Amino acid sequence: MSEIDIEVIKPEMMKPYIWLQTSDGSIQQVEQEIAKFCPLICQEIMQKGMGSSKNCAICLPQQVNPAMLSIVLDYCRFHQLPGRSNKERKSYDEKLIRMDTNRLCELTSAADSLKLRPLVDLTSRALARIIEGKTPEEIRDIFHIPDDLTEEEKLEPLKNITDDPRIRLLNRLYAKKRKELKEREKLKNVNAEERVDERSVDDLLSFINGKESDRKGNKTSKNKKKNRRKKEQQKNSSPKDASELNKEIVEAHGHNTRPASSAAVRIGPTSNLDYTGNGTFIDDVEFDDEDIDDEIDPELKEKIDREVEDFARRLNSNWPERMQDFLSSGQERKTTLFTSDRPGFLSRHA
Amino acid sequence: MGDVLGPDFISDLPQSIIESILTQLPIRDAVRTSILSSKWRYKWASMTHLVFDEKCVPLCNDRDGVDKSIVKFITSVLFLHQGPIHKFRITNSYLQSCPEIDQWILFLSRNDIKELVLELEEGEFFRIPSCLFNCKKLTRLELFRCELEPPLTFKGFMCLKSLNLHQVLISPDAIDSIISSCPLLESLSLSYFDSLALTIRAPNLKYLNLEGEFKDICLEDTPLLVELSVAMYMTDDIAEHFEQSSNCNFFKFLGGVPNLEKLVGHIYFTKYLSIGNPGNLPIIYNNLESIELYQVGFEDMNEMLVVLRLITSSPNLKELQISQGSSNMSSATDAPNMDFWAKKCPSDSTLGHLKVVKLTDMCGVPQEMEFIKFLLGCSPVLEIMSIAPCVHDMENEMRMLIELVKFRRASTKAEIVFTRE
Repeated sequence: MSEIDIEVIKPEMMKPYIWLQTSDGSIQQVEQEIAKFCPLICQEIMQKGMGSSKNCAICLPQQVNPAMLSIVLDYCRFHQLPGRSNKERKSYDEKLIRMDTNRLCELTSAADSLKLRPLVDLTSRALARIIEGKTPEEIRDIFHIPDDLTEEEKLEPLKNITDDPRIRLLNRLYAKKRKELKEREKLKNVNAEERVDERSVDDLLSFINGKESDRKGNKTSKNKKKNRRKKEQQKNSSPKDASELNKEIVEAHGHNTRPASSAAVRIGPTSNLDYTGNGTFIDDVEFDDEDIDDEIDPELKEKIDREVEDFARRLNSNWPERMQDFLSSGQERKTTLFTSDRPGFLSRHA
Repeated sequence: MGDVLGPDFISDLPQSIIESILTQLPIRDAVRTSILSSKWRYKWASMTHLVFDEKCVPLCNDRDGVDKSIVKFITSVLFLHQGPIHKFRITNSYLQSCPEIDQWILFLSRNDIKELVLELEEGEFFRIPSCLFNCKKLTRLELFRCELEPPLTFKGFMCLKSLNLHQVLISPDAIDSIISSCPLLESLSLSYFDSLALTIRAPNLKYLNLEGEFKDICLEDTPLLVELSVAMYMTDDIAEHFEQSSNCNFFKFLGGVPNLEKLVGHIYFTKYLSIGNPGNLPIIYNNLESIELYQVGFEDMNEMLVVLRLITSSPNLKELQISQGSSNMSSATDAPNMDFWAKKCPSDSTLGHLKVVKLTDMCGVPQEMEFIKFLLGCSPVLEIMSIAPCVHDMENEMRMLIELVKFRRASTKAEIVFTRE
C-alpha cells in the first residue's frame, strides 16, 4: 500500500502518531506529542527511530500495562499544555492520585520505568502521605506487607521508636510472654519430668502479669520461684552442662553474645521491680543499663545477675538438646533400677 | 504472623522509589518502617537525605532531656546508616552545640556529603571542626550561628555551588578567600555580619544576597550576576566612613554586573550607592527588569540621582518598586530644586517597557510628586501605578490626589491606584 511506502520514506519526526506495545503484548497508537513527554519513549523515538509503525512499535517496560499507560498518557496530555496555571495543575494532580494504594504503587512503578520524574515524585509523595503518622500495623494492613520479623528483630534498639516508655516496657513484656507461650506449647509434648519447668514458666507468666498489679503478690511468688530454682539447679546443672547450654544459646542466635545478654538486660528491669521493690519503676523514663545498675547495690546486683542469667538460659535454651539431656539423665536412673531385674534390658541398652 | 490479604506491591518497588518515598516522610516515620517486615528492615538505612527538623524527637518540658534524646537519635541513625549521605540537615532549636556534632561532621566527611545545613539552638556558636573542609564533594553549605576558621591548607571547595552563612563568625580574609577559592559558586548569601569589608571574586556567581553591616563592598569579578539583593545596616561610624570615602560606590558595586536581571536594595542601599562621584561612564543594564528599592531618601539629591541613573540605564525595565525612607520629610534642608528634574531627566527619555510601578510610604512632598510626574510622562506602556501614602492624613492625601490628576500620562492604559490602608 502506498501508505506504507510513505511511512518508510518520511522521517519519523513528521508522523503525528507513534505505536506503543504494552506489557500484555497489545499495541496501540498514541499522539507523538503526548507520548514524547515520557523521556523513555522520547529516547526510543529520537535515538533508535522506533515507533513509526506497528511493526517497530516501541516496547514499553513490563511495568506498563494498558491501564497504567492510559493513566500516564492522561497525565502527559494534561501537563504538556503550557497554558495551564499552577493551580490547575495542582488540582489535577490531587485528583489523579485518588486511587487505591495498590494502583498507586503500580503507577509509581510504571512512571519510574518510563523515567517520568514528575509523576514519580507525585505518586511517591502520595504514598509517603499515606504512610506518615500511621502505626506499623496500620501500614502493614494497607499495603499487605507480611509481618515476618521475629520479636527480637522488632525490639532492636532504635527500630522500636515508640514515644512512651511505658509502651516500650509493655512491648517487651508481651514479647517475652509470647515466647514463653511458645515454649509452653513445646513442653506439653514432653513427659512429666519436665513439669517442674512448666510450672516455672507459669510462674514467669504470673510474674510478668503480676507486674502491672500487685507487687506484694510478686514477693511471695518470688520466694516460691527461688525455691524451685534451687531445686532445679541441683537437678540439672553441672557446670559443664551450664556452659554447654550457654554455647547453645550463642549458636542458636547465630551471632554474638549480645542477644543473650540483652535478653538478660531486658529481664533486668523486670526483676528489678521485685527485688528492690522500686515503686517508681514503671514511671521511670530511662531504660539505660547504667541507670538501672545505679539503683541496686553490688551484692544484690550479683545475685540478680545470676538469677537473670538462669532465667535467660531457660527462655533461650535449645529445647531439643535439653530434652536429650533430660532423657539421658533419666535413662541412667532407669538402668540402675533395672540392673538387678532384667539383665537383658541392660544388655540391650548398654 | 500477619495474613496477606492482597499482593504486596510496595515492598518490591525499586530502591530509588523507596528512597523517594522515605525522604518525603519525617525521619522518625522513615526509620520506623524498619519494623514493617524483613524486606523493609534496612530500606531506610540507605537513604541519602537525612533531615532532622523540629519534630524529629518528641518534645517534653525538659529541654535538656530533649537535647540529649536528639543527640542519641542522630548518633544512632548515623551509626546504623549504610552508604553515602548526600544531604544532611539539622534545623532544631533544642539542639545545643556539643562534641557529638564534631563526630557527625567527621562521619559525613567520610561519606560523600554534598549538602550540609546546620542550624542549632540560639545560644553559643558552634565551632565548626576542620574536617568540614575535607568534604570534597560539597555543593551546598548553609551554616547558622557558627564559628568558621578554614585551615591554612584549605584550597577551596571545588564543587561548591551554594553558600549561605548566617551570623557566622569568620575573619574577613577567610571569607574572601573561601569565596574566591570556590570556582563553581553560583549562589552566595551572607547575613548579619559585622563591619565587613568584602571583595567578591566569583566568576560564576549568579545570585547574591547580602545583609548586615558592611563597610565596603566591591564586586570585583562577578560578570554573570543575575540577581542581587542587598540590605545594608548602617551604624554611625560606618556612615562616617562613607562620608570620607572618595571611591565611587556605584561603580564599585554595580560596575561589573551587565547581566543583572533583578536588583533589590534595602535600608541604606541607595545611600551607600550615592557616595562618590559616578563619573560619566555609561553602564547599560540590558537585562535588568525588576528594581526594588526600600528606604530611599527622596530629600537627598544624590540618592535621587542614583535612582534615576538606575532607571535610565535599564532600557528593559518592567517593574519598579520604591519605598520612601526618610522619617522627616517636611523640613527639607534646601529648597527643593525644581530644575533638577528638567536637567537630569532628558525629556526624550522613555522607559519603553515599564509596566508596573509601586510606590509606598509617600509623603506627598514636591520631590516625590516630581518623580511620579517624571515616571508617568516617560512610560508609554505603563499599566499600573500604585501609590500608598505613609501617613493617614486626609488633607495631605487630597493634595496629592489633586496634583496627581494634573500629570500627563504617556500611556493610555495607565491606571493609578491610590491605596489607603
